Amino acid sequence: MHDIWTVVWKEWKEFRDQLLSLRRGGLSAIILALILGVVAPVQLGVEWVESRLIVGYWPFLAATMVSSLIADSVAGERERHTLETLLASRLSDSAILIGKIIAAVLYGVGFAVVNLLLGLVAVNVAHSDDKLILFAAQRFIVTVVLTILASLLMAGIGVFISLRASTVKQAQQAFGIAIIVLTMGPLLLFNALGYETRRTLITWLSGVGETRIEAYVVATLLVLSAIVIGGALARFKRGKLVLD
Amino acid sequence: MPNGSALAIRTEHITRDFGPVRALDSLSLEIPKGIVFGFLGPNGAGKTTAIRVLLGLIDPTAGRAEVLGLDTRREGSAIRTRCGALLEHPGLYERLSAYDNLDFYGRAWRVTRRTRQERIRELLARFGLWERRDDPVGRWSRGMKQKLAVARAVLHRPDLVFLDEPTSGLDPVATAGLREDLAALAAQEGVTVFLTTHNLNEAERLCAQVGVIRGGKLLAVGSPESLRAGRDSGRVDIVARGITEALVAELRAHADVQSVVANGDHLSISLAGGASVAPIVAWLVYQNVAIEEVRKARATLEDAFLDLMGLETGDGDQAGGPR
Repeated sequence: MHDIWTVVWKEWKEFRDQLLSLRRGGLSAIILALILGVVAPVQLGVEWVESRLIVGYWPFLAATMVSSLIADSVAGERERHTLETLLASRLSDSAILIGKIIAAVLYGVGFAVVNLLLGLVAVNVAHSDDKLILFAAQRFIVTVVLTILASLLMAGIGVFISLRASTVKQAQQAFGIAIIVLTMGPLLLFNALGYETRRTLITWLSGVGETRIEAYVVATLLVLSAIVIGGALARFKRGKLVLD
Repeated sequence: MPNGSALAIRTEHITRDFGPVRALDSLSLEIPKGIVFGFLGPNGAGKTTAIRVLLGLIDPTAGRAEVLGLDTRREGSAIRTRCGALLEHPGLYERLSAYDNLDFYGRAWRVTRRTRQERIRELLARFGLWERRDDPVGRWSRGMKQKLAVARAVLHRPDLVFLDEPTSGLDPVATAGLREDLAALAAQEGVTVFLTTHNLNEAERLCAQVGVIRGGKLLAVGSPESLRAGRDSGRVDIVARGITEALVAELRAHADVQSVVANGDHLSISLAGGASVAPIVAWLVYQNVAIEEVRKARATLEDAFLDLMGLETGDGDQAGGPR
């Protein structure tokens, strides 16, 4: 664990130094926080807190953040010629990789949670009539759990993509395609089903109930994340990385 | 021959292939502990591959290697725990400060917080970088980055340090500075250093032993003196007054002389194989030449290196020139 946290510490130092520099990322973070955590909640009001969309919206945003960070963290080490020195240290392959994944996931989840809380404050300041507006507890918990799992899945996919890319830019371009496939793929697949099949599926989903659907999604993401991260751990080996 | 425990590195016929390319070809080396060992060779000779094998980053295709008594195939992690490395690139995190770069690797090697703080201060001060410790490394010059990378390599007091061309790309002043720092460091820390370099002057000044590699094959190994031995050019430089053209012509006909180049008061004489300079000097004195200085030219490590590479030096051309 010590070695994993050492890698997390280093990654966070790099994120932090990037965020503290306005030109290198700080400004983008402030603008994003203003739009997502202040402007949108103030405009949408109570709807922003009560909408079911937050269950999908925040995991998607966090996963997008993670994709950018994991590309920088993995492909960036190669591009900036720091990877071989890192591999020549006593840190194990798995400690390096897990540390990088945890750092990126913490960042993505932290980004979502901070914006959720910021938005909550903004909504209460702008729209509260002496009554505290809060998220429904279950929805908030499910949102956070899905945000964690979506971030983990994206981090695992990101490792595969980044290991094949020689630059951060290449990795981020490949990520763009992966995100389109992951988001549009299920919709296109659904449309490709016959009319009767789609009707049956919608009827079945309506009968299952929100809680059970959320449980299915959590279980699916959990299994997919475990598979992808397991594969990433098998792929992230010194001997291979040095020769790549 | 040193016994196993006195050796920092022992390789037995290690070969490493990359597809059809043989990067290392039956390399056998024995490097004692506590010395600076120079590994010399042209680009693509196999120096970096040798370091990667020795650090357990890649396995040899054939043969075996031991570093600090540990097998590179099975005990790579234990080897890396006891070694430090400055590889082809400085490998520094340019967005982080110098202090944080060292702090990260100190944590990675599990150096305790207090020791880490003291050691970082000691090393940064030694290399003259302490005042700039909070600057992001990306703003530094290449020479400063190389110094910081050397500091990182020795931070955890390793038993063995690999330095892959540490002065490559540095200007002469930065090279001389880093070379002095490396010499002091090796002496003070008592660490074994495996140094690859193109800079033969550097190798000659720093290394107790050198190995010369080309095409993955070890061509020679020994002290710089032993590599130079037997490669003396047989050239003698004499500074004297009273040298005439007639005297130079007579000298060229001397049985012990192969060739003579005269330039004012300066004579550069190539002696015939095995000939001594004493009879020549005695003859010149007899001819009323006032001799001020007689200096036998010694082969440098560069002469020995180029000789091993199969190249001829300017001296060689001169020595073999017409009389």
